[in-house]
Amino acid sequence: MAKGMRVGFDVGGTFTDGVLMRGREVLAKAKALTTGDVTGGIITALDELLASSGVDPEEIGMVSLGTTHTTNAIIERRNLNKVGIFRLGAPATTAIPPLTGWPEDLKAAIGGPELVHIIRGGSEYDGRDLAPLDEVAIAEACRKMQGKVDSVAITGVFSPIIPKHEERAAEIVRDILGEEVHITLSHRIATISLLERENSTILNASVITVMQRAVNSLKQAVKERGIEAPLFIVQNDGSVMSADYAVDYPIFTVASGPAASVRGAVYLSGIEDGVVVDIGGTSTDVAYIVKGFPRESSITVTIGGVKTNIRCPDLLSIALGGGTIVKHQGEEVLDLGPESVGYNLVRLGKSFGGPLLTVHDVAVAQGELDRKLDVFKTEFLTRPEAIRALPRGLVAAAWAKIKERLEEAIDKMKTTAEPVPAIFIGGGAMVVPKVGISGVSEVLSPEHFEVGGAVGTTIAEIGPMPRGWWTWSGRTGTRPSPRSPSRRWRTRSGPAPSATRWRSWTWRRSRSPTCPERGRRSGCG
Amino acid sequence: MGARDILADWGVREFRVIDKAAIQEITLGASILATGGGGDPEIGLLWTYKVLDEGKEIVMVDPADIPDEIQVASPACLGAALVLTEKPPATEVINLAMRRLERYLGRTIQATIPIECGGVNSPVAYAAAGELGVPVIDVDGMNRAFPELQMTSWVTHGVHASPTVSVDDRGNVTVIDTGEDDLLAENLARRAAMAYGGISWIATYPMTGGEVKGSSILYSQSIAWAVGRAVMRARREHLDPIEELLKSLRKERGVEGYRAFKGKIVDIRREFGSETTKGFTLGKVVMEGIDSYKGSVAELDFQNEWLILRVDGEVRCLPPDLIAILDSETGEPIRTDIMKYGYRGTIVLIPAHERMRTEKGIELFGPRHFGYELDYVAVEELNGLRGGDHES
Repeated sequence: MAKGMRVGFDVGGTFTDGVLMRGREVLAKAKALTTGDVTGGIITALDELLASSGVDPEEIGMVSLGTTHTTNAIIERRNLNKVGIFRLGAPATTAIPPLTGWPEDLKAAIGGPELVHIIRGGSEYDGRDLAPLDEVAIAEACRKMQGKVDSVAITGVFSPIIPKHEERAAEIVRDILGEEVHITLSHRIATISLLERENSTILNASVITVMQRAVNSLKQAVKERGIEAPLFIVQNDGSVMSADYAVDYPIFTVASGPAASVRGAVYLSGIEDGVVVDIGGTSTDVAYIVKGFPRESSITVTIGGVKTNIRCPDLLSIALGGGTIVKHQGEEVLDLGPESVGYNLVRLGKSFGGPLLTVHDVAVAQGELDRKLDVFKTEFLTRPEAIRALPRGLVAAAWAKIKERLEEAIDKMKTTAEPVPAIFIGGGAMVVPKVGISGVSEVLSPEHFEVGGAVGTTIAEIGPMPRGWWTWSGRTGTRPSPRSPSRRWRTRSGPAPSATRWRSWTWRRSRSPTCPERGRRSGCG
Repeated sequence: MGARDILADWGVREFRVIDKAAIQEITLGASILATGGGGDPEIGLLWTYKVLDEGKEIVMVDPADIPDEIQVASPACLGAALVLTEKPPATEVINLAMRRLERYLGRTIQATIPIECGGVNSPVAYAAAGELGVPVIDVDGMNRAFPELQMTSWVTHGVHASPTVSVDDRGNVTVIDTGEDDLLAENLARRAAMAYGGISWIATYPMTGGEVKGSSILYSQSIAWAVGRAVMRARREHLDPIEELLKSLRKERGVEGYRAFKGKIVDIRREFGSETTKGFTLGKVVMEGIDSYKGSVAELDFQNEWLILRVDGEVRCLPPDLIAILDSETGEPIRTDIMKYGYRGTIVLIPAHERMRTEKGIELFGPRHFGYELDYVAVEELNGLRGGDHES
């Protein structure tokens, strides 16, 4: 079978995981250190996959990845575009101009308030014009921006229901600033809640070039290795989009990594409704899956200090991972973390003769961890005597505490009191309790769980071979939309994004600066 | 003429300057006292930040220091809170409403008074004061949140909402003058808001300094501020936020709050569509007890705000007494519009201010007003004690 192979990558904070798949079969796995430019780690992992499998690159028909390129660029304020900002909402909205509440360094990185224009326009909730669109003012502002902006963000009041002013404004901007300036329209990015939608739109406009460069360099690297295959990127909701589409809507990839993990967990376990627990070295992300996709967050997602309302998986991150330090006094456990030794585990953990007791060491002492995984290059235990010397009471108390933390996090994510299945994945899945977890009907740790995210990026083969981007049909219900099994993948080749399909928005708050979660809860880094 | 000039004119030397940290603390405290309602603080806070960033000063004055004859009024947002999230106000709305009220009254407004404790209307009164260059008086009309215009201590003490000026972002102005009929004023103001496009900005409850002293909840702002500050300090210093909150109430208001329950939301029954058909978020919440409350069940009814608490079938709190559900670790209030299954919280009960518990008050916003066949019994009595931190 020609082109039957797929490669997928999941770029995490520490490791970039790669898999080479044929059908449902995992042919090769790789873990490389994530590099600052992200692309470097992917290429290392790709070369390792090709070398270890001996597969002919020509047989690879698809390359996909979950990546945090855009998130990192925003957080680090690196290589951001200068953004011309239009808000269509005067005479209303002037009390809170665009960029209010943004961190100063981020404001400066995208060009600052002198590129901001509040223009008469926008709609009322009932469809009336808030004000007629002031086309002359838009043209004037564009002439002032000439040569100073790389991209433009346009946000109109109530545009998610009535986008006409945004669309007309885009025509004027295009006429004056030309094709090379990218335009992002807010109604294609997010839904009701002006300030957060505007923030999301501006952030999208700020990372277009970052995404463009990443996509171009990956395409080239892939090509140089003799792979002739389309490139796909996992978006926040767990579906994939073509890399070319991602260039216009990079903000839809900020939670790409966690979304890929959830998809991988679903694929590897066959469970479509339940809890996914992704356990890493420093933290654990808990997501809830509905019909195979991560449930969306209904609360504000903060990216780089800016509140947005983009759709992201509803994730609860808790400070619990393999490297999490167990604080104790004698045999009494005081707390778990939040500090973690991270990848210094092999230097600082008791199992390796180090001074600190970690979750990893507790698992070893419990006899839970008795083998190392292929993808890890180090042993799991080098100093058994240090582990044997641990007081039994302490180990048991720590183990109970870890279980309690997990149970609490799982329970917070559940929407029903009934027990649900839980899928444990990630490099740390081996070091946590899996038996007798309350609120859980069964715990699954499917094979290849340690590279679940990378597997998750590759499973867009469901449905016809992609040419454009992928979407779910029928996403017009109230959100979060549980996808019925009859809603299958389908492809579209047009440039219109899925967000334009959210016509039947509902009056519900997507913002909450008063989120009462103890753990950090957001879809994104 | 700025706020300081006005104060100098009154011979007032002592006042408090409200900076960003202060408004954050006041708004958090107000959200806690808003008993699950009061709306999302984001827009009011950002507006106030912008006013401060523009170099305008916001100062707060003790009600005891204001002259009896001065004219004051309350600036507020009235309408569908969710339209507000899509259509923040024009900078000029409050100025316009206050100026037109001045024109109608033939008097100059010299200070603002917040109408309620809430995420939206608390900071709005401060932003307005900054925009207008007048002080905020340390009072309000509820020391909690309620959904309607007439539900204030001002009304129960003979001060009326009329005349009220309602404006929109385009500069449209409606003057509502219904004399002593405050219910009709509420009704007309609500309709004006819908006709404008869902949201209106009002200048309401014009009154004199003397009336402020005689009918307001005095030091309401200081109470909210103390509560917010206590909870923020508890977060910083990893103290129990509930304990710190109760201490702050004891110190600032001389009143005992009551820790009534700790549990987890296991069921939410919302009456769908109630926002548009009845103008309220309506429903019921069930919490299962945890820790020392294990085995107990709490039921809460809400109409925008938490209204009634029953624990194991027994009524434990009735309006206008305050119910707050607070995240046990952060002290963040759990609002009726954003709560979800699984939220864990501690229920704190706080006696309403004496000025909210008058006979007229119970008639206007007691249990029967909200459709319950129950007589009002004070929270202290329902819980068989004079307050205190009770662990069952």
